Amino acid sequence: MSDLELEGRRAHVTGAASGIGWAIAQRLAAGGARVAISDIDEAGAIARAAELGSGHLGVRANVRSMDEVTAALAATVDAFGGLDLLVNNAGIEIGVPVVETDEADFMRLMDINVTGVFRCTKAAAGALAEAAAAGSDAAIVNIASVAGVGGVPLLGAYCASKAAVIRFSEVCAIELREAGVRVNAVCPAFIDTPMVQRLAPAVAAMTGMEFGDVVAVKQGRYGTLEEVAEVVAFLGSSEAGWTTGSHYVLDGGLSGGLL
Amino acid sequence: MAGRLEGKVAVVTGAAQGIGLAIATRYAAEGATVVLSDLDADRAQAAAAAIGPGATAVGCDVTDEGQVASLIAGVVEGHGGLDVAVANAGVAVVAPAVGQSLADWRKVIAVNLDGVFLTLTHAAGAMAASGGGSLVTIASVTAQAGSPLIASYAAAKAGAVNLTKTIAVEMRDHGVRANAICPGFIDTELVKPHKQTFADALGLQAMGIPDFDAFIAMKQGRYGTEEEVAALATFLASDRSGFCTAGEYNLDGGLRASLL
Ligand SMILES: NC(=O)c1ccc[n+]([C@@H]2O[C@H](COP(=O)([O-])OP(=O)(O)OC[C@H]3O[C@@H](n4cnc5c(N)ncnc54)[C@H](O)[C@@H]3O)[C@@H](O)[C@H]2O)c1
Ligand SMILES: NC(=O)c1ccc[n+]([C@@H]2O[C@H](COP(=O)([O-])OP(=O)(O)OC[C@H]3O[C@@H](n4cnc5c(N)ncnc54)[C@H](O)[C@@H]3O)[C@@H](O)[C@H]2O)c1
Repeated sequence: MSDLELEGRRAHVTGAASGIGWAIAQRLAAGGARVAISDIDEAGAIARAAELGSGHLGVRANVRSMDEVTAALAATVDAFGGLDLLVNNAGIEIGVPVVETDEADFMRLMDINVTGVFRCTKAAAGALAEAAAAGSDAAIVNIASVAGVGGVPLLGAYCASKAAVIRFSEVCAIELREAGVRVNAVCPAFIDTPMVQRLAPAVAAMTGMEFGDVVAVKQGRYGTLEEVAEVVAFLGSSEAGWTTGSHYVLDGGLSGGLL
Repeated sequence: MAGRLEGKVAVVTGAAQGIGLAIATRYAAEGATVVLSDLDADRAQAAAAAIGPGATAVGCDVTDEGQVASLIAGVVEGHGGLDVAVANAGVAVVAPAVGQSLADWRKVIAVNLDGVFLTLTHAAGAMAASGGGSLVTIASVTAQAGSPLIASYAAAKAGAVNLTKTIAVEMRDHGVRANAICPGFIDTELVKPHKQTFADALGLQAMGIPDFDAFIAMKQGRYGTEEEVAALATFLASDRSGFCTAGEYNLDGGLRASLL
């Protein structure tokens, strides 16, 4: 027995120029997958793909644009000859009380975190179903968040968007089951990425605690990028061949405890 | 490539057959030293022998605190510690809740909830003494929804999930993780004898669904396999799931995802 069965899998990870998406791309590539990295940061996506070495792809895709998403997924299928795994990772945060949140900002977040997942799913479903028909264990893994499982003050828009991703994953799982495409969500707690560094001051001010102490008390420690990538790799591999419509939380116990 | 559980010592309850046996088999294949325990010591012995070196067997009724305590103590003594414990032993009584005897109710609660309590608490104590470990409870998706004909089973599973989370939270600072796996229907000896009873109670015939297997295919695509549960149990036992604790992990082919 050895590593997860990722060898030769053809994967596309959105928002993978930074943070969690980049860690997922590295994990998949280390397991032998070919990885397309897309991001709104085109230069970043191309540079990261080059870092992975030959056989991978870096491509621009703003998940707010159906055209860009469609083109990026088509480029992936062209380059790899198909698609076995889509990881919807691109996402943004807002750390502002609900009543102070700008309507346009709220809608922008929803457009990226929720509608972006819809766009990529729609654009990839055909290729994934084709791979499944040819015998592949085709899968979609959506990066939601523990913020989709419970409320987090200051994260009203974000929580709503991640809860939406969990529910959306369930419906996709059922609708795509017959085509052989599995769909699951992953729900991490705080991971030390640029996103969390941007949120930390507001959360610290709101709780009156050092942000590091909030993390230590609530979830024991930061989860690592590698730990998130492992759960994604597991759900994205045939090891989880019967898992669909589920959301897998990794949060050091944050959401599992009452107090 | 090295196995994912290389160097770990694991104990699995109810491991003589079905899901428990698949977990023990996979753990051994991943490099763990595995102790198979079961009410049926002879079959556990035969199963361990079939797995080969690295696997041994101990008779243990999980409803008996003395037996669970000596199981865990024996593993620690024999193998120098305990890294992984899987609370898998389970039984079911298949009958409507209304009119069911208290004795039948208690029979299921005794194995599926009391047994999990004894396994997890004794194992957690041993793990904490040696720097930590991973507890895995084989619960069920029935923990999450009303489950006709298996009231005691589902209630015990819901209790077991909650207990697993509480132990996870209490023991986090001791390095002990605890997670529950919630499978949908797997075609084991636990399910096979009851298909017709379910089909009748659910009125499948009237819905134009030929039998319980066809109903399962509609609800969860197909039966899951013991090996698929074992794969998740391997992930949760391994250090790769280091940030997963107090979690509830479904694998059910989409059964829980749909309201219809
Ligand atoms: N960091 C955490 O603690 C945490 C916890 C749970 C979930 N998440 C989720 O993980 C995902 C990645 O977060 P991260 O922490 O790595 O954040 P990050 O800000 O470090 O990275 C996000 C990436 O997404 C890209 N991106 C942003 N808008 C985009 C768009 N419109 N189209 C395409 N790409 C876009 C960014 O350029 C960036 O590369 C997000 O969905 C986030 O909500 C993060
Ligand atoms: N089969 C399914 O569809 C399914 C679904 C979800 C969860 N589960 C759970 O998985 C676990 C294993 O079930 P299975 O399907 O492999 O069933 P199984 O009946 O094939 O095996 C159960 C094993 O537990 C042992 N056992 C029973 N009472 C015991 C006791 N008091 N002490 C020790 N061992 C005892 C039995 O001897 C048997 O070897 C159970 O907890 C069950 O509830 C099963």
